Amino acid sequence: MLFSLLFIVFTSNVSAQTCNLSLQGYVEDEGVDSPLNAVSILLVNKEMGTVTDKDGFFQFEKLCKGTYDLRFSHVGCTPKQITVNLSKDTLLFLSLGHTINTLESVTISEKSDNDAIQSTSVVSNQGIIDNAEENLSGQLEKITGVSILKTGSGIAKPVVQGMFGNRLTILNNGVSQSGQQWGYDHSPEIDPLVANKLKVVKGVGALEYMGSNLGNIVIVEPDRIEKESFLHGRTSYFYETNGRGNGLNLQLEQYSGLIGWKVNGTLKKIGDRKAANYFLNNTGTQEANLAVQLEMAVSEKVLFDFYASTFNTSIGVLRGSHIGNLTDLEFALNNEVPFFTEEKFSYKIEAPKQKVHHHLFKLHNKFFIDNSQWFDFTVAVQINNRKEFDIRRGGRTKTPTLSLLQNSLFLESKFQKNFDNDLQFKTGLQFNAIDNTNNPETGILPLIPDYLQYESGIFISNSKTINAFDLELGIRYDHTLQKAATISSTLPRRIIRYTNSYHNISAVLGGKYNYEDRFKVSLSNGFTMRNPAINELYSGGLHQGVSGIEEGNIDLKTENSFKTTLGLEYNDLKSLTLESQLYFQYINDYIFLNPQDEIRLTIRGAFPVFKYEQTNAMIYGWDFVGRYNFQNRLNAMLKYSYIRGEDRSDDLPLINIPSNNLFASVEYRFSNIKWGNKKLVNQLFVEINNQYVFEQFQLNEEQDFVAPPKGYNLMGVKLSINTNIANLPFRFTFKAENLLNEQYRDYLNRQRYFADDLGRNIILGVQLKF
Amino acid sequence: MKKILLFSLFTSLLVLSSCDNDDPDIPNEEEVITTLVYTLASSDGSDVVELRFEDLDGEGGDAPVVTNGTLQANTTYSGVLTLLNEQEEPAENITEEIEEEDEEHQFFFESTVSGLSVAYNDADADGFPIGLSSVLTTGDAADGVLSITLKHDPVKDASGVSDGDITNSAGEIDIEVDFNITVE
Repeated sequence: MLFSLLFIVFTSNVSAQTCNLSLQGYVEDEGVDSPLNAVSILLVNKEMGTVTDKDGFFQFEKLCKGTYDLRFSHVGCTPKQITVNLSKDTLLFLSLGHTINTLESVTISEKSDNDAIQSTSVVSNQGIIDNAEENLSGQLEKITGVSILKTGSGIAKPVVQGMFGNRLTILNNGVSQSGQQWGYDHSPEIDPLVANKLKVVKGVGALEYMGSNLGNIVIVEPDRIEKESFLHGRTSYFYETNGRGNGLNLQLEQYSGLIGWKVNGTLKKIGDRKAANYFLNNTGTQEANLAVQLEMAVSEKVLFDFYASTFNTSIGVLRGSHIGNLTDLEFALNNEVPFFTEEKFSYKIEAPKQKVHHHLFKLHNKFFIDNSQWFDFTVAVQINNRKEFDIRRGGRTKTPTLSLLQNSLFLESKFQKNFDNDLQFKTGLQFNAIDNTNNPETGILPLIPDYLQYESGIFISNSKTINAFDLELGIRYDHTLQKAATISSTLPRRIIRYTNSYHNISAVLGGKYNYEDRFKVSLSNGFTMRNPAINELYSGGLHQGVSGIEEGNIDLKTENSFKTTLGLEYNDLKSLTLESQLYFQYINDYIFLNPQDEIRLTIRGAFPVFKYEQTNAMIYGWDFVGRYNFQNRLNAMLKYSYIRGEDRSDDLPLINIPSNNLFASVEYRFSNIKWGNKKLVNQLFVEINNQYVFEQFQLNEEQDFVAPPKGYNLMGVKLSINTNIANLPFRFTFKAENLLNEQYRDYLNRQRYFADDLGRNIILGVQLKF
Repeated sequence: MKKILLFSLFTSLLVLSSCDNDDPDIPNEEEVITTLVYTLASSDGSDVVELRFEDLDGEGGDAPVVTNGTLQANTTYSGVLTLLNEQEEPAENITEEIEEEDEEHQFFFESTVSGLSVAYNDADADGFPIGLSSVLTTGDAADGVLSITLKHDPVKDASGVSDGDITNSAGEIDIEVDFNITVE
């Protein structure tokens, strides 16, 4: 296995005497940002060697001035060499990244960040590219405990241990994603192919990050630019049969001198999807995304990086799911095939549809005081423009029914110091301002009002290692100021202004015990507060997709959450790993949409009324992953997640809680397949997988228009081939999803009232690194 | 030093946050239908009844005002539907929009009043009914509900739809109102 190498060199200003120089460094795993131990480092010309410790640290003392070749090697990797010109004491920061031609190892779609005290799972770059046809949520679903709240096939929100939308922060490149997260049918505006790493913290509190999370957080990060002076990159293309989708991604990067740059772009075009037995008309998606990354070392201690990304999409919504009122809904429920279904495929996206643009600009500066302490300064601007189109009368279909512009500004200053006694101290100040404006072009009273929101936060977080124990203790305070300008629902229309001020405190206390790397036990406790969001306070109006009138509630109070997680890991250091996480969350004053007894009469018919109310909720569950590796050839995996949600005040189950599910896969690897004397294929992987999603049996009949759908079983296969063509490393993938063309509906897909979920899909992919 | 600078930056931001946003523009709700009027005139001109459903502020806010009606037994009425947006000044006639897009619209009349029936008295360019103009016939004295539904994008050529049967019409409902009717 080759690895690419990134390094930053710091040299101290103290002029050193000859043959008394030190060369030190830290090596981290680029995939998970955690230290990489047991990397052996050899000074080639001196025949001196050392190995990194568990902090990824290594050092050589008493070196003379001169040029040294350092050879890095790690288990199963082909060694890699760098040259250092040593003239003074030098500290190296290295990160080892597994590049595309490192595919001799098995692609694990989910792995754990062993260093984190709170449970953290990672989807690797290879995992992302192998599933290039998936959106962000689809990528994250590979992680145990993550489900998706869908509206058809094009719109998907991640749900982590039952938390989504306003309760789940998505951190894009260190900045909390600022868009219209409140909407059940609003996908996160992030291209997973532009990012190279996806992390999910299934934790009790993410104190370092701003945003209204209740413990869980999704982290999307691009890789740093590889320190290679030649122009290089990678490209991938996929074609899928269901929707006749095409997608192309291209990444180019170069590091010349002190400046590095990287450009990453994606184009996607997918047409009408197909359920098992019929077309889902108007369910196409189009995307065009681009990201530009720049890195510059101004001096040895001052580093700048700049990131700009643009995400642009049009998403069609199933024509047959656009309904007028409850009578329509009843008709649709009794109809097996949705209305407006045609035996005709099309790439065209017509109303109802969504058009979303999201732009991010971020400037980050890292300022080192010395090797053990540094500052991080960040300024970020986000622009989010969302337009939704419905079928309208009088030629107004081209006019959006929802048109929102959100601008936000984020400022952050962080400081970190690593003390000699294994104490790591972090602190920071953050500020975020959001300006949300409705465009009056809609000719409709807006669903959520215009508002300004200012958040200011401060945090302190400490972690310390004492022998086999890792401990974490942190506290965070946020102030939120909301200024909303609502329009009255009665005539004459007038503007009513509200100003709210909230104080939120979060605290985390956790520990992890590591017994000889075989057993790990972690226990974390967190307290978090979330003030009501603008939509929960002030939304008002008809929600077309669910045939209900939604009403905000200006009397809502802040939610308080207590969460405990217990993690157990077993690793036999050979072939078997078992990971288990139990979690329990109690949310005081949990905000939810409660169906009211009232049926409201309008000229469009009678509609049920839903109002935001508060209750005491309890969410608990169990996530389990087991992996077995037999002689590096056979890989088996078993995943299970169980979750329950209860409304404790009314003794009812909570709605929109994911179904339990069970996933199993077996993969076998063949190496060096030859045809005569010619090597055809370096590696061939064959995988069979199966997912069973249980029926959501916990709900009471009166809690939904129709009973939750039955459980379903989906089978899949995947073939991947690594081979060299003209000395270039290619990877070909062939996947079949829902192989048996099972007809099913999923509880968390809001289109289940109208149509079946996706039928069989075959995806062909090709990747090349150059 | 940097921290002091940053703190002062934060303070200035807090000052900044004391300003208000501009007044939002109140959208011009030109698509809203506030009022449906079903005017029934007996063929001899002796009886004129106006059934009216009026919800001036739209879906939220105040409850709608419904004017029900009493009809004469065994009588034939000619019926005319009028749709208005009374938020505009003067009230905007939405009926015209329906007439312009008559191929995409159809009214359906359903009644639980024994002996009462409604027949279409108009047609679009394809010869399918619209329902803006209709003929209502009453039977003997009875009570019940007359519901009027406007469908957008119905399948007009589906079985029974042009006879006024809503079952196979698909499309989506733009209007659905109920009137209590007494025939005496």
